[in-house]
Amino acid sequence: MQNKNIRNFSIIAHIDHGKSTIADRLIEHTGTLSEREMEAQVLDSMDLERERGITIKAQTVRLAYKGKDGEMYQLNLIDTPGHVDFNYEVSRSLAACEGALLVVDAAQGVEAQTLANVYMALEHDLEIIPVINKIDLPSAEPDRVKKEIEDAVGLDTENAVLASAKTGEGIEEILDAIVEFVPPPKGDDNAPLQALIFDSYFDSYKGVIAHIRVMDGHIKKGMKLRMMATGKVFEVTDVGCFRPAPVDLGELGAGEVGFVAGSLKDVRDVRVGDTITSEENPAAEPLPGYRGVTPMVYCGLYPVDSADYDDLKDALEKLQLNDAALVFEPETSVALGFGFRCGFLGLLHMDVIQERLEREYKLKLITTAPSVIYHVHKTNGEMVKVDNPAKLPPATEIESMEEPYVKATVIVPNDYVGAVMEISQEKRGEYKSMDYLDTNRVMITYHIPLNEIIFDYFDRLKSATRGYASLDYELADYQESKLVKVDILLNGDPVDALSTIVHRDRAAGRGRQLAAKLKEIIPQQMFEIPIQAAIGSKIIARENVRARRKDVLAKCYGGDITRKRKLLEKQKEGKKRMKAVGSVEVPQEAFMAILKID
Amino acid sequence: MRWGIYVHIPFCRRKCFYCDFPSYAGRERYMADYTKALCREIAAQGSLYRGRWGEPATIYIGGGTPTALPVEGMEEILCALGEISPAVDEFTVEANPGTVDKGYLELLRRHGVNRLSLGVQSFDDALLRRIGRIHTGEDAKCAVAMARAAGFQNISLDLIYALPGQSLEVLRESVETASALAVQHISIYGLQVEEGTVFARQRDMGKLELPGEDLEEAMYDYMVSELPKLGYVRYEISNFARAGQESRHNLGYWQDVPYLGLGAAAHSYLEGRRWENTAGIEEYIRCMAQGESPAREEGERTREIVMEEVSFLALRTVEGINKEAFRQKFGCTLESIYGDVLRRLEGKGLLRDCGGNVCLTELGMKYGNLVFEEFLLA
Repeated sequence: MQNKNIRNFSIIAHIDHGKSTIADRLIEHTGTLSEREMEAQVLDSMDLERERGITIKAQTVRLAYKGKDGEMYQLNLIDTPGHVDFNYEVSRSLAACEGALLVVDAAQGVEAQTLANVYMALEHDLEIIPVINKIDLPSAEPDRVKKEIEDAVGLDTENAVLASAKTGEGIEEILDAIVEFVPPPKGDDNAPLQALIFDSYFDSYKGVIAHIRVMDGHIKKGMKLRMMATGKVFEVTDVGCFRPAPVDLGELGAGEVGFVAGSLKDVRDVRVGDTITSEENPAAEPLPGYRGVTPMVYCGLYPVDSADYDDLKDALEKLQLNDAALVFEPETSVALGFGFRCGFLGLLHMDVIQERLEREYKLKLITTAPSVIYHVHKTNGEMVKVDNPAKLPPATEIESMEEPYVKATVIVPNDYVGAVMEISQEKRGEYKSMDYLDTNRVMITYHIPLNEIIFDYFDRLKSATRGYASLDYELADYQESKLVKVDILLNGDPVDALSTIVHRDRAAGRGRQLAAKLKEIIPQQMFEIPIQAAIGSKIIARENVRARRKDVLAKCYGGDITRKRKLLEKQKEGKKRMKAVGSVEVPQEAFMAILKID
Repeated sequence: MRWGIYVHIPFCRRKCFYCDFPSYAGRERYMADYTKALCREIAAQGSLYRGRWGEPATIYIGGGTPTALPVEGMEEILCALGEISPAVDEFTVEANPGTVDKGYLELLRRHGVNRLSLGVQSFDDALLRRIGRIHTGEDAKCAVAMARAAGFQNISLDLIYALPGQSLEVLRESVETASALAVQHISIYGLQVEEGTVFARQRDMGKLELPGEDLEEAMYDYMVSELPKLGYVRYEISNFARAGQESRHNLGYWQDVPYLGLGAAAHSYLEGRRWENTAGIEEYIRCMAQGESPAREEGERTREIVMEEVSFLALRTVEGINKEAFRQKFGCTLESIYGDVLRRLEGKGLLRDCGGNVCLTELGMKYGNLVFEEFLLA
């Protein structure tokens, strides 16, 4: 197909604003899948994605559409991850497109994450088509939302499409707008090959399959290709497009979007953002914008039952096959035994991985509280990066410490500006700016430690703004902070997995709150359990879990043994989530207690 | 072969505030039909198992409140049971002190009932009102006297501790009164607030002033140390008796003795199976009228499940688990299955190996649930 009949586009939307439903309608309307094959929200294929209404992996689908001019068009839809953790992945997906649909809920309006992605799309010079979705809702205010888009994004909304993915209204108009407004791809079929990898996944038959956009040149089956960043060379066994199942076409030309595969075993050889070129006639330079994987958040993952260690390792390796952003290495904890230190792109990424380990691999896990990466300058002039509070060098060896800061953007109705500011100040945020998106909605930016964000910043924002706040953040820089390590002692013994790094001015308060929270979480046992919080050798807080006085089920009724058994089973099930630390049974949530204090 | 019969009477004058047993108040209209249905089940099931196993060793009529039934109904049931088993060693009927009179007690005696279990709970009138009982402390004393006059020589009282508003002093008075009445047997239960009871609602409204842990423990300690001094030996976690007056029927539950449950919501354990009859009175009546089985099987019974149950049930008694009996039943030693558990619990001072048996220590009795839980294999 000629380039002039190709359109590459993605969809930008906030969670719940209807991105996946619109994608489904486009697939349905173009007859890419028959109604029988259509499963609701085809593109979010992972169970978790469907449950949470989010997209974690990018998905692509090629649609064939007959335009108003009677010509056939090839429309390549690239569905992007919709969460701040996956910003880099989003930027690569956008780099593969010439246009984007900006889907905004007609009742909700623009949200912080949408804005971040729109700005990113504008940086990539994409043509943006606003789509006001859910106009069938009684509370829909398309005119207000249009104005908001104009004010906040500076987009002309004259050509905005009013749509309802639910009723199907506006779907054809969207397709026509894509054909009319999204520019066809440029690119020379005969130039040296440059193809951008914007995602990958592992297929047990074909190995790693790379999602690609061919910028220049072409790919044919049997060609020898090379990854320009990792240096991996491979021969093409399959090349084609998704409809949405992979279809082998034998070749892809300049401007096209699809996939390539070829005996690639390791997903780490196929990096998002890398450029694929031809081994015989290589491009002079890779495409711009490649970046290695940089985890932002780390936590320890330990099996509750140490016998499951190997299963956990296998499961992490399997997940890594499909997720190059997941990093892990073995770690030991005095309290928890053998486990893994795992790095994630952000909190959602961490949650998703944990949940998949528990759900798909049936593992019972203890997760330690997430930590950011601290830069520790030692008195001997050395700088070490610390992603686990337990590994912090002794205070006497520390000259200074730096912690990561982010630029956080919050959008709220103006009634809640005060609440946002109060919470942000409390979280050590430094006020940067405030802009009115319209008469009612305000965008506030803060320079704030990432450490505070991963504690309960967003939860607190949500509850203080009755759910109206939306948040986006990106790494800004590292800054020196007065940080100290707070240790927790159970029964007189320090529990390394409960250590946490906090700002010096808040350490005493945090220590008290943490000890009090642990007192709530740790169940009574046969003996008294002292809980202490300490900085170095100085005890800053004490609590006591009193001994359980008795625990006996006395009631006997007419030989109902099954009921007795059920009570015992329930009791035992509760214990399965506990880890014996010394002689103390500690429930899983204790290790996350630091996140639950307020 | 030793086996027992349990008969369930799901009627009460009034539902006590702590009770979540299958018993109903205000369903007197079903009593006649229920009695007929029950007699039919007694005749059918009772003769079937009697044919296989011979005379049952014990019969226990419980509830609910068996004596909430009118005299005529009770007599029909006793006659039906008499057809199956004219003379058992131990024949118990539960009674509420507010529901018996001389005539009723004499009727029970005439039909071979030789043990009376009175639901006294406390002798303190204010406390009895607080927990929804229909009788007074004086009624309970009268009931004991009447029972004795009617010829009962084996009387048991149920008491409850850790009730709302109960003080150690009030518990002490009740225990001393029971002892002064010279009954043969005392069961004493710690209150547990179960969902769906009046107490659970009161708790949710913040209107249930339970004794604290300290007081509850003091009550437990008092009863465990005081009852033996009064001549009542502890033979099971919650049961105390004069020498030789232990409840054989209840011991059967802990000692892996089979039993046939008859009536709505009755549980059976026979020939390696456990089942429960439907708990609904109307449903039970309907089943019996149409010749359907009211039984609901209680899930698969693997060898592991049986091992678990045999173990944690036996541990409730002072005898504990008999190693030889275990080996004979399962063909392997207790040690081979529970070796680690036994050592761990012995290490914590909860279990004791006394040669042929493994049993709870004093401490183990107090923390029974922690011990039993360890005997679940899954």
